[in-house]
Amino acid sequence: MSTRFDPSYALEFDLGRGQIRMANAGERLVVPIDALLALCHGASEDAVRDFGRRLGTEAGRALLGRLGDTGQASLEAVVEHLGGELALMGLGSLGLERWGTALVLSFTHSPLGGAGDLLLGSVLEGAAQRTFGRDVVATKLVRDADQVRFLITGHAGAELALGWLASGVAWGDVLTRLVSASRGVA
Amino acid sequence: MNQDVTRLEELLARVQRNAARPRAARAAFAPIAPMAAAPAPAPVVVSAPPAVVVPAPVFAPPAAAFSPPAPAFSPPAPAYTDSVDDLLADPFPASSAPPPPPAPTDAHDAPDESVPLVAVAAPPAEHISGVMPVAELTEAPEELLEDDIVEMSPPAVAVEAVVPASRTALDDVDLNFDDEDEDATRQSASDGEPPVSSSRSKIAGTMDEALARAAEQMEIQEGREVPLKTPPPESGPQAAMAPMPAPPAPDIDELLEADILPVSGTSSPASVPTTEQLGQTIDLEEARGPRLELDHPVAASAATAPAEELEVTLPRREFGGGYQDDLMPPPEARQDLDAHLQRVGDEAIPPPPESLAQYPSLQPSASTSGTFAASASPSVTTESPSEAVSMVTIEAPGGAELSPELLARPELGPSAVAKFIRAEPPRPSTFLELLDASLTLGRH
Repeated sequence: MSTRFDPSYALEFDLGRGQIRMANAGERLVVPIDALLALCHGASEDAVRDFGRRLGTEAGRALLGRLGDTGQASLEAVVEHLGGELALMGLGSLGLERWGTALVLSFTHSPLGGAGDLLLGSVLEGAAQRTFGRDVVATKLVRDADQVRFLITGHAGAELALGWLASGVAWGDVLTRLVSASRGVA
Repeated sequence: MNQDVTRLEELLARVQRNAARPRAARAAFAPIAPMAAAPAPAPVVVSAPPAVVVPAPVFAPPAAAFSPPAPAFSPPAPAYTDSVDDLLADPFPASSAPPPPPAPTDAHDAPDESVPLVAVAAPPAEHISGVMPVAELTEAPEELLEDDIVEMSPPAVAVEAVVPASRTALDDVDLNFDDEDEDATRQSASDGEPPVSSSRSKIAGTMDEALARAAEQMEIQEGREVPLKTPPPESGPQAAMAPMPAPPAPDIDELLEADILPVSGTSSPASVPTTEQLGQTIDLEEARGPRLELDHPVAASAATAPAEELEVTLPRREFGGGYQDDLMPPPEARQDLDAHLQRVGDEAIPPPPESLAQYPSLQPSASTSGTFAASASPSVTTESPSEAVSMVTIEAPGGAELSPELLARPELGPSAVAKFIRAEPPRPSTFLELLDASLTLGRH
């Protein structure tokens, strides 16, 4: 198994049949961004989360095919292959940050913008579920002009972080508090 | 010719007689000479007050008022009268026609010249050379007596050689004895002022008159530029100066020698022997007796003088500052030598030493507790500024038997004072470990 992500011939455009297929996967559809956002804007939050998780599950399934035993996969390998699959979907560039024991994933240059953050978080949740079999919650920490950060925790940690963020605590302090709280418990 | 000689002798006798008589009219010119040196552009002709009669004209201006050539032609004025000119001019009317006297304003227009502004008509030059002694030309003018008049008639060539400058100065001077009295009277009448430098003004009879005269004098002086005042000339007979001797006749032999000797180059006649000195040459006889020759050993000179002649061989080490044991001091220096030896012996006593703190390790006799006596500690220097060596200067009392004890901190070797342990955070080797750790955040 190669550790490097190889996108060669990942997409197959069958112009005669008018189909676009992804390698080792089904057909794909190329849709405009604003149309997708309008759909997500009109749908409920759960519908959008479900839509996103389905996208992530598809990326996780492709990652499993590339990585094999994902339990031994390193940080770099997961970021490279999972990021490659998400890039093929056109969702942006995936990044990983480790704040102590807290895992932070980020999207850069996402074409969806701020309106697609809920969708992006759901994609990450679906990919983690499909690849590692863990139920995770992606909590949006901060977003600037070109990057959005998501804290990957369980439900308990997500609730604490959302509470601190709602009370005005900076996203860096939220991470510090979470890590400190987990050390105190340990 | 004899008649002319006789006539000239008569004229000379008359001149001498007239010279012996005092001239009251010349008094008008007495103060003129000091005034002539005044820098004022307008000439000031001073006329003596009518009440004061100056018995004899005195031309004794201050030395500072005249330049050197000026006194050369001032003396003849009191010795001659007006008739002398006429008499001297008659025998040779064609050859001795005096030049026309310059206008009086010519002398007054040149105040910077050294010639005094005296309106005196000068006699012709040839008359001066025949009558006036040359020596008096260079002397200050004074009153001439009959005994002082010495007739000298040096050759005209010599006079021309001696006083060429005075001749040129005489040409610029208006020496007109005929008109001098008239000019002085006319100028004094036109000015109507008392002479500036005259101190012989009439003495005021009352205080009011003196004040009025002083106020008038102040007004006059305020309206014009006051010239430099000079003291009035001293009157009265004075001792006649000895006439300047005539230049000696040149030695013919010296002149001939000067012609013989070469003049070119830097050789001077004084440095070259004369012919007289060269003429007497004495030949020495041959030496008598056996012929002597001086010889010197070659080997000795080669061994003792290997270097140049100007080099001086320094004394050897064993000879530097040494004394010979058997030498005894002179008896008169015995006392001084004893005093010197006693003084040197007193200074040989060392002063009390300065104590320095020192590491115990540097003290061989120091105890392990770090306590040692300061009297036994020599001076200690350390090159490392980081070492904690403290300098303590203790002045021990003169009769104290106790010596101070210095305590120094024992030496400490380099050791680790603190230890920092870097806590390596647990880095997950796999993504799953990090994911699991992150999922545990916020769990209670």
